[in-house]
Order: sequence, then C-alpha cells, then structure tokens
Amino acid sequence: MENSQIALSTLTPGFADPVHDTQAVFRTLLDALSRPGTVGVVENVLPEVRATRAELAAFAALLALCDYATPVWLAQPDTALGSALRFHTGAPLVDEPAQAAFAYIHDAGTLPPLESFALGAAESPEQSVTLLIRVEALTGGAPVVLSGPGIQHTETIAPVGLPGHFWRERAALAPLFPCGVDCYLICGARLIGLPRTTQAKVN
Amino acid sequence: MSATSASPSSVAPAPVRRAWMAVLARTPRDDLEAALERALRDIPAPPYDWLRPPEIGLAMVRGRIGGSGDPFNLGEATVTRATLRLRAPAGADATVGVACHLGRDRRRAELAALADALLQMPEHHAVLHKQLIEPLAAQQAVKRAGRQQDAAATRVEFFTMVRGD
Repeated sequence: MENSQIALSTLTPGFADPVHDTQAVFRTLLDALSRPGTVGVVENVLPEVRATRAELAAFAALLALCDYATPVWLAQPDTALGSALRFHTGAPLVDEPAQAAFAYIHDAGTLPPLESFALGAAESPEQSVTLLIRVEALTGGAPVVLSGPGIQHTETIAPVGLPGHFWRERAALAPLFPCGVDCYLICGARLIGLPRTTQAKVN
Repeated sequence: MSATSASPSSVAPAPVRRAWMAVLARTPRDDLEAALERALRDIPAPPYDWLRPPEIGLAMVRGRIGGSGDPFNLGEATVTRATLRLRAPAGADATVGVACHLGRDRRRAELAALADALLQMPEHHAVLHKQLIEPLAAQQAVKRAGRQQDAAATRVEFFTMVRGD
C-alpha cells in the first residue's frame, strides 16, 4: 500500500481554501465531540464529484485532521481515498488497526472489536484512535440514550447500521478511562460525536 | 514533502522530465513568464484545476563536507510547490504538472507547473522544448560556467615546501 504510486491524473482535489476550510471542519468536529449526540454538519467544502466513495464528512475530517504523524487505517480498501490522503496530508496508511491514529470504517458491519485499536496508555491517553464510522442513517434506528460530560440531562440518538457489539464493547472500555476510543458516526455531510466519556444505554 | 510522480500516460521517461523540471526550477519568474508567453502564442492557454494550489513551506537542506563527509543539517530553506491538472476531454487521461522551487513566488510555481504539464503532452512537447527549455538551459549553463570560472580564479593551492637534502 505504501509504495504504490499515487495516480495523480484521477486524484480527488482537496479543500479549495485549505486554511479556512480546515478550520471550519475542525470547529464542526470539535463541537460535535464536546456536545455528544448533537448532529454536526460539514459545510460543502469539497468538490461535488469525488473519485472516492467515502462520505463527505469523513473525507473532510481526515483531510482536516491528518498529517504525516497520524497513521490512517482504512477498513475497506479504497485506493482513491488512500491516494488523496497521502497526497494532500502526507498521512501514512497502515495495515493494522492497532497502529492507526485515525480509522475510517466504510462498512460498519465489518467493524473489528474495539480492543483491537490503540486505546492509549495511562500516561498518554491521547495516543488512542479516533474512529470514523459510516452509518446508513443517523436517525430512525434503535434509540440509544446518551449521558455524561457535555450533555445536560440525556440525549437520544438512533443511528442505523451499527453492529450490536459496538455498544457492548464501548461500555466494556469505560472502566479504562482515561484510555479509550473516540468515535464519529457519519452519514453524508452529517456526523455525531461520541467521546470516550459518554455513557450509552441501549433501550 | 511527499514524493510525486508522473502519470503513467506521460510521454517522457523520468530522467528527461527531471531535467526539464530542474531547468524550470532555476528559471526566474520574469524569464519564465516571457518564455512561456512566447511559446504559447500558437496554443490557446489550457484550462486547469489545482490539485495543490501554490503553497510555501520549509525544507531542511542537508549537506556533506567535501561531498563525502557525514550529512549535517545546513539550515531550512523556503520552498514553493504546486500541482495542477489540465482539464482533459472525457475519457482521456489528464496531464498533471508539478513544480517546486526555492523561494516564495507563487506565480512562478504556477507557470512552471503549467509548463511541466504542457511539456508532457506529445502535441506540445517539441515546440515547447525548443522554445522554452533549450534557451533557458543554455542560459543557465553559461551562468554556471561563469560562476565556476570565477570560483576557479580564486582557487588557492596549499602545498608544503619540501626541503631538499
């Protein structure tokens, strides 16, 4: 994966205005993570026609957050997305989920166990993974009640397409705090942030 | 900086392209602008999209004393780079032009990238190479030879007198 040539003639262009677009996307991601359960919308900052099938919000998030020091793991091989990330951000692509600082899971059904990702260490909990998980929809599924920091009382979300083991494994990681994984559930240009501090109760 | 490579459809083998990119990277902006304008007189200015708009960054320059010692960091230099893609008719492979040069001149990177892209197209290669690259390369060779001569004139030979017995 690493040594393959980047096909520039079909490469997807990145942000038109890298500085401001990156800041805008970063703000959206930060707000979503600090108010878990609210839906963040990535403004239309990327060209309509993209060679990659990755969701707009996921592509924008990876472009905004990655650099040469953040290895990326793609659950489903996506040459167009991989090339674009390597060209625009310089981020290395890795084959093992445990090495990744960011992971994009296009098909949520194939999500590996959360323990197989980097959870960080007690001295450096920030060295954990951030998962970008594509879901079929952010509403209309089984309701999940969220509580914790950033939520005044409770917040209910109902994403469609997450495997059942996701919520179980997430709850099992809670005692490891400050270690853990942060997630974004992504559908099109919309996303929900799920930081490690949020407790989720599946009804 | 990440390494970029020519698209597989390019006409020129890598060393040839490397040579003209080196010429373009050393050409001052005014010369480049004038030469490109002259060369493009018969060709309509091609439309293109940015893959990487001209951006200014720093690159660490490394050196070796005498060309063979241990490498050391000489210092950082400002570098401008740009990548553009010519708009191709549907179905055809698009041509990608890349430029990278010392300094912080965005327009110069744009011109050099455009020239690099056009030089890869078989229909423009011969004309452009003749009108753009060859004169510039000759000009640079003359300059370089002059500098070498100046440097050679100040050369000091160190030697030790050996006392004959």
